[in-house]
Amino acid sequence: MTKFLPALSVLFAVVATAVPWGLPADATFILPLVVVMMVFCWRAIPGAGLHPAGAVGLGLLADLMSGGPLGYWALMCLIAATVGGRAGSLGESRDLGRHWLIWSVLVVGLAGFGWLLASLYYFRWIDWWPIAFGAIVSVVLFPIVLYGLLWVRHGRLGHDRSAIFRGGA
Amino acid sequence: MRERGSPLFRRHRPSWRAPVELLSFGLYFLCAVLLVLSRIGHGAISDARDGLVDLSEPLLEMASLPAIEARRGMDRVRLYLAAFDEVDRLKKENEELKQWEWRTKLLERKVAHLRSLLNAVEEPALVYATGRVIADARGPFVRSALINLGRNDGLRIGYAVINGDGLVGRTVDAGDSVARVLLLNDLNSRIPVLVGPAGVRGMALGDNSAELQLDFIPEGTSIYSGDEVYTSGSDGVLPRGLRVGVVSGTAGDYKVRPYAKLNSLDAVSVLFFDAPAITRADPPAAGDAGALSAAPGGRGEAAVTGASRPVAAVAPIPGQQAQSGQ
Repeated sequence: MTKFLPALSVLFAVVATAVPWGLPADATFILPLVVVMMVFCWRAIPGAGLHPAGAVGLGLLADLMSGGPLGYWALMCLIAATVGGRAGSLGESRDLGRHWLIWSVLVVGLAGFGWLLASLYYFRWIDWWPIAFGAIVSVVLFPIVLYGLLWVRHGRLGHDRSAIFRGGA
Repeated sequence: MRERGSPLFRRHRPSWRAPVELLSFGLYFLCAVLLVLSRIGHGAISDARDGLVDLSEPLLEMASLPAIEARRGMDRVRLYLAAFDEVDRLKKENEELKQWEWRTKLLERKVAHLRSLLNAVEEPALVYATGRVIADARGPFVRSALINLGRNDGLRIGYAVINGDGLVGRTVDAGDSVARVLLLNDLNSRIPVLVGPAGVRGMALGDNSAELQLDFIPEGTSIYSGDEVYTSGSDGVLPRGLRVGVVSGTAGDYKVRPYAKLNSLDAVSVLFFDAPAITRADPPAAGDAGALSAAPGGRGEAAVTGASRPVAAVAPIPGQQAQSGQ
């Protein structure tokens, strides 16, 4: 069961993304980006294996439920999974701040890429503000989501370096 | 103890790096292919999507219940907090509506008299079924919603979807028990409209924002902020006269503010308006020819029997799932 915990938690978030919360138009990107962030976090947490193929599958499910083109959120999840899997080896200082910074850089890249892809898909410039707003909120939410996932995994909150960071013990 | 690192005893360990890289490349390629197929609108993609969305309907319906109840709870709290102001407003509105009721009855009599003088043909009744929004679409591409009505309820692609406030959008995908509604403010939404009392023709274009752009207005026509916008029916898909919204903005940059609150949709009704364009684009299956018969009377009866799903719980008039309106 523990093995499937990452996939199940992301699946839960994907379903929550499709639920009609009544959020304003500007906030439409927040929930899908939380899904992408969860993929990143699960890949960054050592020992919590979320396979890239699983990330793509969950992204495809998000695409299906959103009614958008198949492959868009799958691609975002795959990029996050790829970067998340390598986040631990990016530097010696493996602390929360480092991962937070990596996510911030990644989400800026994803937002820019997503906006370009969407514009290319429609052959016109689409509104960039909801994407930018979603990216900013996801950066703010990062520690909450990371510690939330650690709580899901270990059943407790708290700063446990060996649990969070590779080789931190 | 034998040294594991010794070249003599070192066993050949297969490299797992290459297959993982290959798999990642394959997954990126798969995503790109799916994006291209979605862009060109490949039939297999939409069929697979319809099937999978149908399968996920029970899950979505279950998951959406707490969110809908929470939203209703918030609305109730908000209403309670502003109850006194609301009562005053409703009293005023009631007085105005009484005046309107009297005028409407007068006009109805006049119209009926003129119709009898002209020997005008009776307009067919509109049949509709009411369902609930069970999922929202979130993304840069679409503003859509999933509703718990599908082909089993007699629904077809292209039908107009309304709620108590006005037009919400139209159906673009239909599974057996679920349909996707393209909302008015979606980037792909184009609604031919009439504006104001003069009935100026125009087009309401969605751009994924809260308001619609009002375009293709003939030069030299007068449009004012606050003018009512309603469907013209010139696309041959939507019925004429459905309320869309009001004009806002200034000259040269007119917008349409939709009456329907597109971000917080709950109960919506699908109008079974079988325009020729709809029948051509989405012909009825042999089995449900009766359910969507072009004859208004027959269609109404069949729609009532066809909508056998428990949608009556959210219908505006309890006990009826599909009704004749107008």
